[in-house]
This record gives sequence, C-alpha cells and structure tokens, in this order.
Amino acid sequence: MKKLVLSILCSLTVALAFGQAKVTFSPATFTAEDEVTITLDITGIDALSGQTALYIWAFSNDGVGGGKNALLNGEWGSSSEAAKMTMVSTNIFKYKFTGTTFFGQSPAELINFGFLAKTKDGSKQSPDFKPYKFDPLVFTPSQFRLFPAKIDYSDMATVYFHQDLATDVNLQRMYNVKVNLVFYNEAGDAVVGSKASIVAKKESNILYSYSFIPERVITIPAGTKLGKFSYQFVGNVKDTNGADIATTGPVTEVVYTVFN
Amino acid sequence: MKNIKYIMFAMCILLIWSCKPEVFPPIGDPQNVVKDIQGTWSLNKVTQIDQDATTKGFPYKQLDITSVYPYTELLITFLGDAQGNPSTFTITNGNSPKIADLTSGNWTVDDPKAPASITLKNGTVTNTLTLGSYANLKAGKLTIKRDKKLNGKVLLSYQYEFIKK
Repeated sequence: MKKLVLSILCSLTVALAFGQAKVTFSPATFTAEDEVTITLDITGIDALSGQTALYIWAFSNDGVGGGKNALLNGEWGSSSEAAKMTMVSTNIFKYKFTGTTFFGQSPAELINFGFLAKTKDGSKQSPDFKPYKFDPLVFTPSQFRLFPAKIDYSDMATVYFHQDLATDVNLQRMYNVKVNLVFYNEAGDAVVGSKASIVAKKESNILYSYSFIPERVITIPAGTKLGKFSYQFVGNVKDTNGADIATTGPVTEVVYTVFN
Repeated sequence: MKNIKYIMFAMCILLIWSCKPEVFPPIGDPQNVVKDIQGTWSLNKVTQIDQDATTKGFPYKQLDITSVYPYTELLITFLGDAQGNPSTFTITNGNSPKIADLTSGNWTVDDPKAPASITLKNGTVTNTLTLGSYANLKAGKLTIKRDKKLNGKVLLSYQYEFIKK
C-alpha cells in the first residue's frame, strides 16, 4: 500500500514537474517530406531549468515498429552539434528538420516520431514528447475511414466502415450495422455527450457510413468546445444456431483540428 | 504560260480585294456582378471538399452532403443601396446547419468590378466567402465557397450552390 501511494505521488510529481512544457509545430500538420520547425518551451521542466544549450534526441515510429533514432542524434553522452536546438529566448528552443532526411527513412516507413531535449552530455533531459504523426503522403485503404481527414467540431464528419477490408471475421460478417459516438471536451478528458446504436447508412454491400455534425447528435453546453470524438461500428452476427449475437468493432478516436 | 501568269495575277488582285476590316458587333454592357449577386438565394447543393486529399491526389476528395440535413431550407439575401452597392445581408437558416457565423449584417466585395470574394460582417465577426463562376450568375446560379485553413493552408472547403428565388 505504501509503495502504491509512493508511486502515485511520484507520478503526480513528475506530471506536475513536466506539466507546463509545451511543444508546437510549424506548420501544424506536415508530411515526412515537409520541413517542420519544432518549438519547445521548457518552462516547468526543472531538470532543464536555466539551460542555454539543448540538443534534440529524436526517434521515429514510437510504438508501431520500424523505429530508428535520428541520424543526427550523435551519442547519448555526446550529442552531435547538428542536433543542437536554437535558443530563441529564455526557455524557448527551436529545431528545424525534414522527417525523411532526419531519420533516413522513406515517407512510407515514417508513421510518427517523438523526441526529448537533453544537455550535450546527457546528464539532464526532458521527458519524451511523443508520438507526433506524419501526415500520410500515400493513401492507404483501411476498414475505417473519416471524411474529410481534418475537421473541427462544427464540421460535418462522415465515418465509413469498409467491410471488405475488415480483418476480423465477425466484422466481415456483421449486419444490422450501427454506430456509437462519444464526444469529449477540449481537454479530451471528459465526455460531453454520446449516442449509441445509430443506424448506419448502407452505401453498398461492402460499405456503411454515417454523416453527422456534433451539435445535431448531442447537446453541447454553451461555451463548451469539443476536443475529440470516438466512433465504433457495432452490429450483429449469427451464432451456430442462427440466433443474433452482438458484435463490436474497435473504437477509433479522432482529434478535432483547430483551424485558424 | 502567259495565260497562267494572268490568271495568277488576277487571283492575287481578287485575294487582296477580298481583304477588308472585320466589323465586330458591340460587346454590350459589362456584367455588373455586384448587381447580379443582389437578391434572395436558396441553397441548392452543399459539397464538402477535402483540399488536402485533393492536393495529395488521394481518392475521396469531395462529398455531396446536401441531403444529410435540410440545407435547402437556407436562404440568403444580399441587398444593395440606391446606387447598387452592397449594403446588408440576412441569412435565414431554417432547419439547415449554419453555413456562416452570422445571420445578418453588412456585406462587401473585394473588387466592385470583378469581385473574387464576399465579406460578411457584423460587429467584430467577419466571414469571407469566395465567389465562384460569374457565368452562372446570369442564369440565376450563385456558387460560393468557404475555406477552412490551418496556418494559411486550406485543408477543407465547403462549396455552396444557390438558386435565385
């Protein structure tokens, strides 16, 4: 019990210590072939407080396989000078890179990346900032799809289930297809509203869809902004006796874009 | 041989004589686009365009969403002053989803002779709409587009096609 309390306290301390660090990208969305500038605000990262020289340590494809360290990272105990971040002002550092050349991987190989900031000798470091997705350059068909790819919460969203691309046998056989929607607040940590078992539109024998604007599905309290939503296709399959049993697809989350 | 020379000479004379300045008919009055925009328009078609997918050559570039909600209930009225200049506008949504952040205010165009965009304004709220082809205006069709940008890059557009009431 004591250990559990200590673990929770440690986690909270770490969360608070790193809570204020902020990462922004310019442009906000980018492919692996675009030049992108990371701006890191280390305010709140006590370990790096007062540092004037920081080095990026970047890695690709976190948690999805096929990852590599950035070619310019250097050694942990001696970062390469090419990995040095530019200090813009107190606590604000920038670094410019292009995914394909930075990681030495093709656009098709690069799915996401993460990074941390460190001192040259690696004695001090930030937590990992990850994962940040590269926008795909090549269209990859998948069983679930959103149209359009980038929307804010006032936009019409259409979610699709391409049954012919389903890998799960139950999803391949699913009928009476319905959709469950859950909408989250701006911080993404609280449910604002949800609606279950909405009948999906059967576009063809292999394609189901549902189009919606959030405010037409749930009541959004005045002043509340939505940060993300999730969708899940559900339905029925027949068991060995020919009776209907419920089956569900995976939950897919979509983060709303903030247009400017 | 001598005859051929005469024939050739006669043909040259005929050719030169047949050349005369072409008379062009009057081109008529220039189209007054601002005047043509004025009136009440009924929303007829809404198309969502994924501009990022278009740029990258992906499939699934656009989607007709007119029938998802009662968009066709939406009416927009552009009024002009006594001189025909843009003055006020009203948008009656009915049960249609909103296509702009405003329902009334003033409208202006970027260029009175060849407008490319219409700006709707009420107080501090401003919406800019891109004007489509002029050719359809005379036929009572108005096409306007609203872009949604991220750091200056257009990622999503809505194309609204109206019919004059």
